[in-house]
Amino acid sequence: MTDSALATNPAPVAAAAAVAPKLTVRDVHFYYNGFHALKGINMDIPEKKVTSIIGPSGCGKSTLLRIFNRIYAIYPKLEAKGEITLDGENILDPGYSMNRLRGKVGMVFQKPVPFPMTIFENVAYGIRHHEKLSKADMTIRVEQALRSAALWDEVKDKLKQNALGLSGGQQQRLCIARAIALKPEVLLLDEPTSALDPIATSRIEQLVEELKSQFTIVIVTHNMQQAARVSDLTAFMYMGELIEFDGTEKIFTKPGKKQTEDYITGRFG
Amino acid sequence: MPATDTVASSIDLLERRSRRDARDERLFRWLLKGCALLVLAALLGAAGATLWGGRSAFSTFGWHFLVSTAWDPGNDVYGALVPVYGTIATSLIALLIAVPVSFGIALYLSEVAPAWLRTPVASAIELLAGIPSIIYGMWGLFIFAPFFANHIKPWLTSNLGNQPDDGKLSWVAQHVPFVGKLFGSSYPFGASILVAGIVLAIMIIPFISSVMREVFQTVPTRLKESAYALGSSTWEVSWDIVLPYTRSAVIGGIFLGLGRALGETMAVTFVLGNAMTLSASLLDPGTSIASTIANQFSEASGLQKSSLMALAFLLFVVTFFVLLIARLMLRQLAKKEGS
Repeated sequence: MTDSALATNPAPVAAAAAVAPKLTVRDVHFYYNGFHALKGINMDIPEKKVTSIIGPSGCGKSTLLRIFNRIYAIYPKLEAKGEITLDGENILDPGYSMNRLRGKVGMVFQKPVPFPMTIFENVAYGIRHHEKLSKADMTIRVEQALRSAALWDEVKDKLKQNALGLSGGQQQRLCIARAIALKPEVLLLDEPTSALDPIATSRIEQLVEELKSQFTIVIVTHNMQQAARVSDLTAFMYMGELIEFDGTEKIFTKPGKKQTEDYITGRFG
Repeated sequence: MPATDTVASSIDLLERRSRRDARDERLFRWLLKGCALLVLAALLGAAGATLWGGRSAFSTFGWHFLVSTAWDPGNDVYGALVPVYGTIATSLIALLIAVPVSFGIALYLSEVAPAWLRTPVASAIELLAGIPSIIYGMWGLFIFAPFFANHIKPWLTSNLGNQPDDGKLSWVAQHVPFVGKLFGSSYPFGASILVAGIVLAIMIIPFISSVMREVFQTVPTRLKESAYALGSSTWEVSWDIVLPYTRSAVIGGIFLGLGRALGETMAVTFVLGNAMTLSASLLDPGTSIASTIANQFSEASGLQKSSLMALAFLLFVVTFFVLLIARLMLRQLAKKEGS
């Protein structure tokens, strides 16, 4: 009952956003094959802001991101403990519907991975999974998503062509369109520009800037300049622990911890 | 003086070396081309030889050879319809059973099974592929065909067929067209088109499923994760992402199995009944091109031998058309996906 109230009437949530975070992470631990990969993470991710997670390879930043939509659960022997609340409900609760979670939390991966279908179908595929739309409504939804992902003008004449014919940057924007077509509330970006050239990267960064008025965005990046450019808040992780989490400007100018300072000044990592 | 000598000889050496490289390169290319041409020559040679061997059958019977059901060595009249039908019918039944089962095996092994189970089961499947066909034939003749005749066939004839033992037609036989004919039979033994199709299916499952398993493993993890991240279930990821991504290799694997089914000789000869009669019923015996040849070749001469050669040529033609259909199917699918 409360779910549908929240879904159909987001106004009270939005009003409370200034104080209530979108995602609340409480004492989250993660294990794979017995390896303790995350050690008691606590953080509040605010609504409609860009939060970036930085840290050296293997620090657990991608692992943390992959818990937010429970994508890790498709593999055996992975286990997350603790509590992550999204709109007041614990998404780690086994009773929380996976389908609903993935409708609310979208994800874009490191390398652009369009499905082996037409450009149109790539975007329509996910929508079809969650909603029954008429052909006309679907066309409108796909156009909206492609417009939001700043891709419409480049592909509007070739929607029936295979998506693999697009350039890497276009493919990645298609993947973003595919994710936002479901109208998620949270958008997870896992090093979304690591496989792209500088021009394609800056277009994606621009896009992130535009999208944050609609979505709560969490971006994992190994590129510190990117974190500084696009995010409002930055979290620094090291060896499975959250070392520091604060406003981006503060992290990059007056970090509170020695480890953070060493990392952002390039002394290790 | 000695210094210029050394320089001159080293230039000479370089030149000789590059000349030798160019010659070796040419030789290597010719060698490779020769290997490839050998395959083509073998194919054309076999097709040409069977066509040549079958020339008197083709010239004596003309088009009638293709549509006639006669096979009468007493009167020297021959037609190919019965063995051609038997070959295609048994292979189609084999595919109808083997493709979905192989798809299930391959998906289980690549997407669902726990890691410790994957390798042993995959090796077991490859071992199955190595079993000689005579063993499948013996199993089919001594174990499966009698079992089929005693337990499965009575059920099929009385519930689906148009010649039930008690004379009462089932609802299906009365109302669904063709089904009654397909499963009606008064022949008391197991060996039949359907049994041959089932044995063939068991024989080609290892081929198809190991090809499918191998290509399913080439699907990038991120592609599957992307689909899961949109809320897809394992079935949807398999059907919408894994299968289209591996489409051409999967169809290749299916046709590898089909090729084997079309040409399979020993196992089919054992369980097909070797009857030169055309029957609509899958429960009646029949014959196939390969088993007709195997059964009659040693004693045939004259026009009968030529007719067997002509049958062999028709097997080429059938296989060729099957491959052609596969190509056309792939092109059609590719068009639908917009590439």
